[in-house]
Amino acid sequence: MTLQKSFSRRRFLGQSTLAGAGAAASVMSLDILKSEAFSKQLKQKGKRVLLLWLAGGVSQLETFDPKPGRLTGGPFQAIQTAVPGVEISELMPKMAMRLKHTAIIRSLNTKIGDHGGGSRLMHLGRRDEPNLSYPDMGSVMARELGRLDSKVPDYVTFYTATEGRGNAVGHPGFLGSRYAPMFLTTDNKPQNLRRLETISDLDHRERADLRRVLSARFSQGRVSPVLGSHNVAYGRVRGLMSSEALFDITREPKSIQDKYGPTLFAQQTLVARRLIEAGTPFVKVSRAWWDSHGQNFETHLEMVTELDHVMSTLLDDLQERGLLEDTLVITLSEFGRTPTINGSLGRDHFARAWSATLSGCGIRGGTVFGSTDEDGQHVKDGEVGAAELFATIYAAVGIDPHHEYYVGSRPVPLVDVGTEVISEVLA
Amino acid sequence: MAEIGPKFFKEVKQISRDDILLRISHQKSMQSVYVGSSDAKIYSVDPMADKPEFHEFKGHTSYVMGLVDTEKHLVSGSYDRSLIWWDKESREIVRRVEDAHDRWIRNMFLSPDGQTVLSVGDDMVCKLWDAESGELVRELVSHQKITPNHFPNMLYATAVSPDGNLIATVDRIAKIKIWDFKTGEEVTEFEAPKCYTWDPKKRIHSIGGIRSVCFSPDSKSVAVGGIGPIGNIDHLESPGRVEIFNVASGEKTHEFEGDKKVIGLVEQIVFHPSGKWLMAVGGKHTGWVQFLDLEKKEVIRQFDVPMHVHQVAVTDDFSTVYGAGHGKLIVWSMVN
Repeated sequence: MTLQKSFSRRRFLGQSTLAGAGAAASVMSLDILKSEAFSKQLKQKGKRVLLLWLAGGVSQLETFDPKPGRLTGGPFQAIQTAVPGVEISELMPKMAMRLKHTAIIRSLNTKIGDHGGGSRLMHLGRRDEPNLSYPDMGSVMARELGRLDSKVPDYVTFYTATEGRGNAVGHPGFLGSRYAPMFLTTDNKPQNLRRLETISDLDHRERADLRRVLSARFSQGRVSPVLGSHNVAYGRVRGLMSSEALFDITREPKSIQDKYGPTLFAQQTLVARRLIEAGTPFVKVSRAWWDSHGQNFETHLEMVTELDHVMSTLLDDLQERGLLEDTLVITLSEFGRTPTINGSLGRDHFARAWSATLSGCGIRGGTVFGSTDEDGQHVKDGEVGAAELFATIYAAVGIDPHHEYYVGSRPVPLVDVGTEVISEVLA
Repeated sequence: MAEIGPKFFKEVKQISRDDILLRISHQKSMQSVYVGSSDAKIYSVDPMADKPEFHEFKGHTSYVMGLVDTEKHLVSGSYDRSLIWWDKESREIVRRVEDAHDRWIRNMFLSPDGQTVLSVGDDMVCKLWDAESGELVRELVSHQKITPNHFPNMLYATAVSPDGNLIATVDRIAKIKIWDFKTGEEVTEFEAPKCYTWDPKKRIHSIGGIRSVCFSPDSKSVAVGGIGPIGNIDHLESPGRVEIFNVASGEKTHEFEGDKKVIGLVEQIVFHPSGKWLMAVGGKHTGWVQFLDLEKKEVIRQFDVPMHVHQVAVTDDFSTVYGAGHGKLIVWSMVN
């Protein structure tokens, strides 16, 4: 099986120009990240994506598609946002003031209402196929937006809660392990990133040389994209080892740490911003677990309050650094929650009419696309699925959603054939 | 003379509705009740009528979470943060206190002398209001606004002791505070930590809290209700829980944990005037009514009921119990 990608002028130019930015994004020169000049330079170079993965299924009714005054609407009121005529839940007063950066898509119908299937769909943008392993959004972004010579990881994902973690594992599929994520689960810093104290730096280098020699010998006469990807991944080890400082938020001014706040989600989002600023093209911060079958309103009072603070702080921070224009911030779950409220004052799984948001890079802020009926039970206008959402996400960061990879001789489009982008939310 | 007691507990009537009935108050002079609804309205209804009619009071904009009858007025509180004094006959608004609390109003209580209305909200303040004039009399402030894990705390319920000397308030992180009614000074604090589950690993949020509080008839003890530690906090899958404390010593004197039939939140506790037993109600998807013997420290009787019970109103002679719950209004009798 061979993997090729159709020729892309944008990619060729991107690699040429971005190579020069490698030194600037070097982890060893992190202090210059604070300079406005660097932020401007980065802004010219590349696009970034930061996915806030709201695992377990956040309620659209308690966030971006409130239904005040209806029995399905729950107890929370809707509040006016900075965009005339657009209201969101009262649990999000900070985001309400910043909605000019954000497009809301209120008309997702993704049909899959179980955690595993829904998560898979909303990571791949399409359903699995038995004989082809598709890459997830992060791996595609790592390939399309990453730099070949990058010393920073190009796909980092945080998932600290244990519930649902197995549903949200990054998956490079046919792109190969070069585009697999650095998957952080137990700490905000990568485990085992440092060289063992029992191994000298020289020894470490020589071991890498030996591995390279043996690998080259093994590769002789073999044609395998997987093997090639594996070797490229190993080749980046020493660069990644030097990126440890990016995960250390104590290097941020205390005022910035205080702005984000003390929760795990907030701290990981601050790390994500540091990674984005240093050139990592895709970071996923998972906030689990939203699966409020019981006590939906207490759970959402806790967690949406946190989401509102963290998301608004992130958007402010990116904007102040001049990065928002080139950074797409996504909020996404595997599905939404039922408008019907059950006896435990909970909401159950609901994939028929729910919401996601896109902010920043390539997005026409303040837009609301699609709508649901007055009780939120069905999509009323603009029904879209995972494919349209993914096509729009790719388009927002400058990737042609219709270009094709080749797996062997088989052309594989980034999104399913015939999928249209949601042009209304694109700038 | 007819006998009255838990062993005679039985359903008399059930009325189904589309909304969630969250609060209930019994009109002592009549066979009717007021109910507070998730549709933001209050209704008066005679549930025993052949064709019960729900007469609406319109004024709130969110769930009605507090309802007390001062005889002269009906007073309600809501997640919309406002308190409303109503004319019971005309169902018109007499007085509205907008932003009575900075956040959701969770519950209300009427002092035994009928002179003071108490309200609690997620601003973590218990407020005392003159029942007649609606003037704010006092604020009780000391519950933490933020939980130890940096999330909003919630102040769920309050009660006044029958002798009128003490106030109890209870919150999400399972703190019980006792206050001097006359001075507003905080007297003491207890904890029922098993009622609050913080999950730091699997799901990274919390569930539970103390949802109900009631003083014993002699005012010497305070009972609190909630739910025990939960493994999977997506659901209310843990036994309902009642704990009783001696107010003077702080000693926990009773601890009742429900069995597999009593799963979910204890939403309300009502002492029998004898002080020998109490009634606890609540549930998860459906509900239950439980009677607990305080001398033997054992369950007298417990009943599955077809709705999560949010609140009950009991007649003075304990002959009739009116229950407000998820999609239903139910009348139970305790008369032989």
